[in-house]
Amino acid sequence: MSAVGTVRRAAERVLEVVCAALMIGLAIVVGLAVVFRYSGASLVWYDEVTPIILAWLTYYGAALAALRRAHLGFPGLVAAAPVGFRIPALIVSETLVVGFFLVVAWYGWQVVQLLAGNTLISLPWVPVSLTQSVIPLGALLIALAEVLTIPERWQEARSGGQLAEHEETPL
Amino acid sequence: MSILLALVALFVLVLIDVPIAVALGVIAVTAMVASAGMGDLLTVAITMFTGATKFPLIAIPLFVLAGAIMNTSGISRRLIAFASALFGFVRGGLAMVNIGTSMFFAEISGSAVADVAAIGSILMPAMVKKGYPKEFAAAITSSSASLAIIIPPSIPMILYAVMANTSVVQLFVAGIIPGLLGAAGLAALAWWFAVRYDYPVEEVFRLSRVWVTFKDAAWAFLLPLIILGGIFGGFVTATEGAGLAVFAALFIGLVIYREVDLPQLYRALVDGAVQTSVVMLLVATSAVLGLYLTETRVPQLLTQGIIGLTQNTYLVLLMLNALFLVLGCFLHGAAAIILVVPIVMPIVNTLGIDPVHFGLIVTLNLAIGQQTPPVASVLITACSIAKADVWEVTKVNVWFIGVLAAVLILVTYVPIIPLALVEYFYR
Repeated sequence: MSAVGTVRRAAERVLEVVCAALMIGLAIVVGLAVVFRYSGASLVWYDEVTPIILAWLTYYGAALAALRRAHLGFPGLVAAAPVGFRIPALIVSETLVVGFFLVVAWYGWQVVQLLAGNTLISLPWVPVSLTQSVIPLGALLIALAEVLTIPERWQEARSGGQLAEHEETPL
Repeated sequence: MSILLALVALFVLVLIDVPIAVALGVIAVTAMVASAGMGDLLTVAITMFTGATKFPLIAIPLFVLAGAIMNTSGISRRLIAFASALFGFVRGGLAMVNIGTSMFFAEISGSAVADVAAIGSILMPAMVKKGYPKEFAAAITSSSASLAIIIPPSIPMILYAVMANTSVVQLFVAGIIPGLLGAAGLAALAWWFAVRYDYPVEEVFRLSRVWVTFKDAAWAFLLPLIILGGIFGGFVTATEGAGLAVFAALFIGLVIYREVDLPQLYRALVDGAVQTSVVMLLVATSAVLGLYLTETRVPQLLTQGIIGLTQNTYLVLLMLNALFLVLGCFLHGAAAIILVVPIVMPIVNTLGIDPVHFGLIVTLNLAIGQQTPPVASVLITACSIAKADVWEVTKVNVWFIGVLAAVLILVTYVPIIPLALVEYFYR
């Protein structure tokens, strides 16, 4: 396996563990919230923390989805086009994806710095900069994940092979 | 950047296979920089976070997880055995079992892709073995799987509720009658096929077998009771109901049936996270696009344009149905909801169309969109499991799509069908 392949596989493993942990965490928090509500002691942090877990799941999951090339798109036209169209389309597409997430990462980092010193309302010991860190970190990871898939995409575009199937979403 | 230029650019980016979520973000960011400079990009970063924190959407990963646990814990197999005892005596019995099991599954999972993966992998090989053409097996499995998003709970309904700012629970209730109508229509058509092509009867009806399989699946039947009873009874919210579904499915799988395959469950957890994040990233970048749309007043301008053309509700609904049907052929359901619903809701509200009623119309359009190639998530999953050609299956499936279209027309023009239970229980 090439160096890029090795890094890609390792990144996939780590992100899989993070995503599984976030899914389990989300289910446990929601389950606990019901139990506590019915026992007359509602969790005050429930409404503030669960959306944050969802946001973390969104961005770390999106990085994993980028590694797996699972983001929703319309590959039909490019797949059917000649190589002379595929290569420029791939270059434009990858530049936009990586560029967009680098911009989001940079401005996300500015937001984290602006929010330094703020804390969650229900959990004053949790800094908002920690919860918001998912934007710069997640966006950077998505950009990196996209870069790691470029050799495979490039190979496919040049060889005229079938583009990888998009993973099915739950709808 | 003019609105038209933005739309054309979005179309071009999607055509060259830029992920839809990124295409939305790129267009929004470019437009915002063009109109207000780089300063607004801080707002983009903040919106990318807040857009992914909409509370009702927490139910999506949880329903995905509940469905995954069902698949790994023998619940699907027991549901199939019970449906076989109940419906297997009819001509074309396995097709009826397919529809019946999809209905049970629909009451727990809310995802048509999860439904087709769980049921199709067991029933389609069985149907082919019994002499059904694989194209018919894939078509009936695919079209009945789409009942999962009509019968509550339903992931697209949760997404619609957030985008249209309406009640998830009322949408769930509104889905019951159209879902039952769809199931009855699919069963009638499958029976007609079975009689015409002499498909086999599965087994003789025996009450004792119904009882034995019911007892075996009884714990599984508790799941819809917990989820739907809890949500409709007002004991839990839709999100909490989804959380309960996860724990109930885990309890049944681990303690009662003792069949949970842990490595498979881990894979399901990770796959569920990926599937959720793909939809959620779209939601987040669409929130950024929403900033641009609000600034340029696109929904309001579109509303004025449409209202200027006609104020006939029936005609507008016909146009919206046509729009969703065309989009359904080329866009994934989540993308269609996220892109179109915020733009057309002002029209819907201006004409006084009930947002719950419109939600059912959108859901039925998506159910059809899941069956219409080239982008047909459920049909393609079914064909992939059955190893059948998508276009050959579509030749058969077009009849079943016709049933779903008939339900769509009924729901569109006879609003009492989706709204009767909502009116009775909530208004």
